[in-house]
Amino acid sequence: MWKSIIYKEWLKVRWYLIAATLLLGIFVSYMFINVQHTIAFMQANNYWNVIVFRKEQYFHLIKYLPLLIGIGIAIAQYVPEIIQKRIKLSFHLPNNENKIILTMMGFGNLSLLACFSIVFLIFVGLSNYFFPYEIVNEAIVTILPWFIGGLAGYSLVSLIVLEPIWKYKMFYMVVAALFIPIYYESGVSGAFEPINFKLTIIALLISVSLLFSAYRFRKGEM
Amino acid sequence: MNDNVIECKNLTHYYGKKLVYENLNINVKRGSILGLLGKNGAGKTTTINILNGFLQPRSGECLIFGENSQHLTPITKGRIGFLIEGHVQYAFMDIHQIEKFYSRFYKKWNNEPYWDLMSKLKVTPTQKLSTMSCGQRSQVALGLILAQDPDLLILDDFSMGLDPGYRRLFIDYLREYAKSNNKTIFTTSHIISDMERLIDDVLIMDYNRVLAQCPVKQFMDTFNQFTFELDNPNIDISKEKFVVNIDKIKNKIELNTFETEAFVKNFLLKENISVKNFKKVNLNLEDAFIGLTGKY
Repeated sequence: MWKSIIYKEWLKVRWYLIAATLLLGIFVSYMFINVQHTIAFMQANNYWNVIVFRKEQYFHLIKYLPLLIGIGIAIAQYVPEIIQKRIKLSFHLPNNENKIILTMMGFGNLSLLACFSIVFLIFVGLSNYFFPYEIVNEAIVTILPWFIGGLAGYSLVSLIVLEPIWKYKMFYMVVAALFIPIYYESGVSGAFEPINFKLTIIALLISVSLLFSAYRFRKGEM
Repeated sequence: MNDNVIECKNLTHYYGKKLVYENLNINVKRGSILGLLGKNGAGKTTTINILNGFLQPRSGECLIFGENSQHLTPITKGRIGFLIEGHVQYAFMDIHQIEKFYSRFYKKWNNEPYWDLMSKLKVTPTQKLSTMSCGQRSQVALGLILAQDPDLLILDDFSMGLDPGYRRLFIDYLREYAKSNNKTIFTTSHIISDMERLIDDVLIMDYNRVLAQCPVKQFMDTFNQFTFELDNPNIDISKEKFVVNIDKIKNKIELNTFETEAFVKNFLLKENISVKNFKKVNLNLEDAFIGLTGKY
């Protein structure tokens, strides 16, 4: 049965997910073409010097892309469910309604993780090719919250889309507007290292709150 | 053994302060087809939503197969085929994808009636439901419900948006399926003439109240409409207890009642009301429904 739910979710997001992964991959590739160009222009040791002492971020180009992809997946996954209240079809299936919602949410998170992991691995691989371990490590710590922010953005937008009551919808929008920027605070490379784990836990906890919106939808609250 | 598949007891619901209905009681027997009729806004879809647990009534409860509709178990949900108003389905799927999706959920899944219906549609195998006509989508939705082989079918306004041909196809398939397999159907439709061909029992709702709940035959046998012309157009009989509904244009009267022709004639005689051209009108279900609920 869960295979069927995953199959439905896959049909909704597949083209978007493939396009988003390719887009992110293209941006990362473009970023490293720039890196290669800069190294050829000013020599590797000088460029490393700029990165280490002037804190230049060679990866800033992808900063908001994970967030946009997370929001996009949430829209692709949940807008078709609220059009004509189609989510009633899922709630009527011979399964526990909460498990259905959690499966949908789990699929969305895993899709994003898959997309982000592919791009993240490309990023780490290419960074290792051009830079020493210390620079790569700082880069990873810096971009990690951007990707976790993509997951949090996905959860919050899912919540907003599925919520049937406007006052709650507005409340979630305010929460999202205040909360999401935390993942994208400007800071020197590596500044987020101490709280990355906590930010991940918070993003996962937000996912579960979708059950409340789903419950209100199921009970016909308006 | 309780023979009722659906039992609603003292159902009361409000939208805000607006009363939809109060103390509504509905029983649907196993193997019967009940049509819920009412004007727009009378509470038909509200009742369907309560039956499926998509709306919590203010008070009262509905039992389906003995389970409270607000807490249906997955097994019981598997015994109910549900058609949402407008034949809503996953529009991003094609007919193969949607059959594949649903088939894994239902133990008794039988795709024969589904593909039988699909063979009648002029759609390509990869055509998305979103690009199909309303009639074609209705057949997909019906085919999926029949393949599910449910014991109870709950259909919300199945005739919405369908042309006469598709409506007839839908009804004929449905009635044959229900009667040959002893299935129970609870349905609403705003096209009353369709219902006459389909249903065994009728429940007619008006705003806030139930006007009739009985077998269709009994309703058609007991509900009468008479037309006549009053000699004195100033006479008003609209307040009489036996009058369900009355239309008066100048001296021409259209009287709707559950009383017999003899009773009405006797009343007119007793009250010294002289009339001419007294006729009993032959009614179909739609005429009777309008006679009962009024034209506006």
